[in-house]
Amino acid sequence: MLDKLKELFNFKKRLDLLIENRNYTNFYLIISIILFLSTAWAVIDEIITRRPWKDYQSEYNYLLQQKLQANYDELISLIDSSTVAGLHVELKKAESSLENEAYKNGVEELGNLQQEYVDATREWSFARSKSDAVYYEYKKGVHGGSPSQSLKDELKEIERSIAEYADSVSAIQNRINKANEFLATYTNKIAELNSEIKKIFIDADKVKLKLTRASAAPIEIKQVVIDDFEKTNFSELKARVDRCQTCHLGSREPLMADAPQPFTTHPLPELLKIHNPEKFGCTTCHRGQGNALTTGYAHGDEDHYWETPLLKKTDVYASCNSCHANQNALKSAPYFTKAKQVMLEVGCYACHQIDGYENLPPIGPELKNVSSKVKPEWVYNWILNPKAYNPNTRMPNYKFLPEEAEAVTAFLFDKSKNSNFKFANSNGSYKGGSSAKGKLIFNEVGCQACHVIGDETKVREKRNTSYDIAPELSHVSGKLSPDFIYDWIKNPRHYNPTTKMPNLRLTDSEARDIVAYLQTMSDSRNKDSRKLEINKKEKIDFGEKLVRSNGCYGCHAIEGMERESKISVNLSDFGRKKVEQMDFGDVKELDKEGELEFEIKDGKVAVQHSWDGWVYGKLYNSRLFQTERIPQKMPVFNFRDEEIKLLRMLLLSYRGDKPNKKYQQTFDQRIRDLDQGQKLITRYACINCHEIEDHGSYFSATLEDPSMGPPMITMEGAKVQEPWLNEFIKSPSPIRPWLKVRMPTFSFSENELNDLTKYFLAVSKQELRLRDYSAFQPNKSTLAEGKLMFDSYQCLKCHILGKGESSGSLGPNLSLTAKRLKPEWVVDWLKDPQAIQPGTMMPGYWPDGQTALPDVLEGDAKKQMEAIRDHVFIIGKNKK
Amino acid sequence: MLRLTQFVSLILVLTINVFSADVTGKISFSGASPKMPKMKMDADKTCKAMHSTSVSSEEVVVNANNTLKNVFIYVKEGAKPTAAPTVPVTLSQKGCQYTPHVMGTQVGQPFVILNDDPTLHNVHSLAKSNTQFNNAQPMKGMKLNKKFDKPEVMVKFKCDVHNWMSAYVGVVNNSYYAVSNDNGSFAIKGLPAGNYTLEAWHEKYGTQQLKITVADKPVTADFNYSAK
Repeated sequence: MLDKLKELFNFKKRLDLLIENRNYTNFYLIISIILFLSTAWAVIDEIITRRPWKDYQSEYNYLLQQKLQANYDELISLIDSSTVAGLHVELKKAESSLENEAYKNGVEELGNLQQEYVDATREWSFARSKSDAVYYEYKKGVHGGSPSQSLKDELKEIERSIAEYADSVSAIQNRINKANEFLATYTNKIAELNSEIKKIFIDADKVKLKLTRASAAPIEIKQVVIDDFEKTNFSELKARVDRCQTCHLGSREPLMADAPQPFTTHPLPELLKIHNPEKFGCTTCHRGQGNALTTGYAHGDEDHYWETPLLKKTDVYASCNSCHANQNALKSAPYFTKAKQVMLEVGCYACHQIDGYENLPPIGPELKNVSSKVKPEWVYNWILNPKAYNPNTRMPNYKFLPEEAEAVTAFLFDKSKNSNFKFANSNGSYKGGSSAKGKLIFNEVGCQACHVIGDETKVREKRNTSYDIAPELSHVSGKLSPDFIYDWIKNPRHYNPTTKMPNLRLTDSEARDIVAYLQTMSDSRNKDSRKLEINKKEKIDFGEKLVRSNGCYGCHAIEGMERESKISVNLSDFGRKKVEQMDFGDVKELDKEGELEFEIKDGKVAVQHSWDGWVYGKLYNSRLFQTERIPQKMPVFNFRDEEIKLLRMLLLSYRGDKPNKKYQQTFDQRIRDLDQGQKLITRYACINCHEIEDHGSYFSATLEDPSMGPPMITMEGAKVQEPWLNEFIKSPSPIRPWLKVRMPTFSFSENELNDLTKYFLAVSKQELRLRDYSAFQPNKSTLAEGKLMFDSYQCLKCHILGKGESSGSLGPNLSLTAKRLKPEWVVDWLKDPQAIQPGTMMPGYWPDGQTALPDVLEGDAKKQMEAIRDHVFIIGKNKK
Repeated sequence: MLRLTQFVSLILVLTINVFSADVTGKISFSGASPKMPKMKMDADKTCKAMHSTSVSSEEVVVNANNTLKNVFIYVKEGAKPTAAPTVPVTLSQKGCQYTPHVMGTQVGQPFVILNDDPTLHNVHSLAKSNTQFNNAQPMKGMKLNKKFDKPEVMVKFKCDVHNWMSAYVGVVNNSYYAVSNDNGSFAIKGLPAGNYTLEAWHEKYGTQQLKITVADKPVTADFNYSAK
């Protein structure tokens, strides 16, 4: 065998032979066997190995048919069988009546009549054609100058016969109609019964139709082509081809909700309604390799060079930012909204450049009067480690050495040594309060909405973040003097003109009680008792250097540092960063495969050496990757696992590339107004008290009865008159006098007030326009009816009217209505309060548009609502 | 062809589940019966005037024979849906109280809410799966016609005007449910042969489950609640 092969490939020997004697048979045989085998292999590979999606499709079709069958069976079992049986009996009876002579004769007669009709219409149309021909000849004669009398007579004769034919045709038509009517007395009943049966089976039949389609479904690649979603680096349109639905077949089939992957229904069907996969494809949100047809390549687990692998779990929300970068809240993506809220609240933008978040005011307090507020020892300890004083503070830990903390303290006190701040009242005017009363007031008026104190942590728990939005006050008497607290709570803007802390309009005695209460919050914890030398010039200079190099001015306005640029890296394309560009320092690689990115074992931290792992480690402990030679400045936050993942998702979304304009959310006036407003309400923590755009209302956690909390204000723009809103925010006055919690005075600037008004209008999809609300004229002619309904609907069982009226203390004061509410809104509200504010105590009086008083205003629901509105507007004006 | 399939399925429906049986039981209660607070009807004079003596809350009603009233019993697992009856069930408001305090209904069954009082009530459903509603009934004799779309145990009803008023409605998709009565007993009729999980629900004492097997003989299923 071997010799034979050797001989075969012995080309030298072959060359010795004469060309005619050379034999290639065996050579060709072997080559052709190889060719045959490789062809067979290619076919097998093509059909079986490389086409797993075909199996998926058959499996899906089988599963779908099973589910549809089960659904069909269930629908059939829900049908009342006795009703159907009854209908079938009636149907049989009706059908048997078709057998009698009268009906059969009727059918025969109809047949004859139809034949007669055909004959008659034929003659009729012949006559009309003939008339046209003769008319032509006659006209030809007229135009030629010799009109023929005989043709004219013939024409007349033909027209007469046409009329005759027409009469006979219409006579036959009448008889046909009559015959049909007669037959219908038999067939109508059958049609009626059939349609009734069909109606009962309508849902089941729809499923049956789907079943038929499913059983005939072809095995084929299902792809979506988007020609213009994005551009290449050379600014040319780049097409996307998404074949994901070749395997993910059930994404839009609700029956597949409990099916295994890849057949499961999309978990957010309402999101698919807005982003139709036929228009947007799948990879625009989920990333991955759209045109791949095997799991490993499509998802990117096997193809390590694919730059945009599938986004897993909540990371998929990163894609929202591609087109919605300019929005802070997305209704269908609460996870995305939450991430932006965390980013705004912790203030990443203070040190990092982030597109769209460049010009926000500093997040921390200004420090120019700090020497009037706290003692150097407190500031020193605070700078040394803010989390030691208050674990939930937003201020991160810079891990300063004691001498560094001393230097920063020295610098800050040097800066404020020329402060001319003085308490508004004489020292000691805080004295004489009751701490028990103070506690009550503190809990009732709403301080708890932002400040945690002692074990009153319900708001913190409901907010569910690692940080509080305002300082915890559990140890406040160790930090602030009673004189300062009194001055501060009476008017926070006196000490700090840019503070976010609002004024709760406390009376002197209320303020004294609160001071007394806060004085009980003592601090007996151990502190670093370094002997501070804050007046030394070299310490002050060293402090300034530290403040500048650590970027303290990002969060705190510091005189002389206003023009410094952001201290840290630009994050606008951080999501593109390659793992090769990331330094893991001395941190070991986590040797476990899978979803765990981060592990602490025996005090040693290990992370996955991946983009995900690096970011997780960095956000968990920003100094994690620090080595002796590579120091790191980012301060240490206290983020929780959930917050780290939220922020990492957001970072993943910053890729510096944008889809084609057409796909992006246009930054129009409304989106701009929403953006401004959302930043404002996050800054002033409006959502700690109110529910706005589906989130917030944290304060209600402290109340037994949530209806005693601040109201939901999502629809404020559609609801209240803009001048009233402006006036109310500037100087709030009670609408629901029984509420203990107070709307504070925020002292907004004119711009902020304007932004707020425009924001509320934008939420309600309204535009700001000049309206004279006093020009609204209630319809005087329906006032009697309005009053009648107002009384019989017992509106004042819940609402109050002016002062001192009896009430259930549930609804707002109606005497404010004329000055407060938009006239058209009152009607919308009366129509269906639940639709505007789900869960409201205000009941609907016109369920499904039906009135309880059909005799009033002809029972017209709209007129009735308007009459009540007009009545309320009039009594409101009369009652001040 | 269509008619044929309909006919066949009809026959199928008629022949399946040949055997069925009734499930009966008692909800016994051990321990001291809790003292229920009196309802304070002072907020509405009309309500107060309708009662000569003060009325206790119906949260826990222990019968004279140490059994528990107002327990909703239904088949949690194992039952197939049955056709919705066309006969309506009624929840009425009388003497500023919901009657009955606990009741059941089927998905798709007409559900009527009646105001039998000459004062304003608002019927506020706090459904979780079904659509919530809140409608006013300012006049005596007013009726509200509703239907539930989805099974839900239980849908709470309240009246915001009279904050002491509450009712619970168990919505299921079959006819196999009952509410324990003044003797603490209940009866579920005609449950087809098979294995089921029964669940008892009480406003204060929560839920309990019991597995039962139904063949062609009546089944007894007793529950026991004890004071907490």
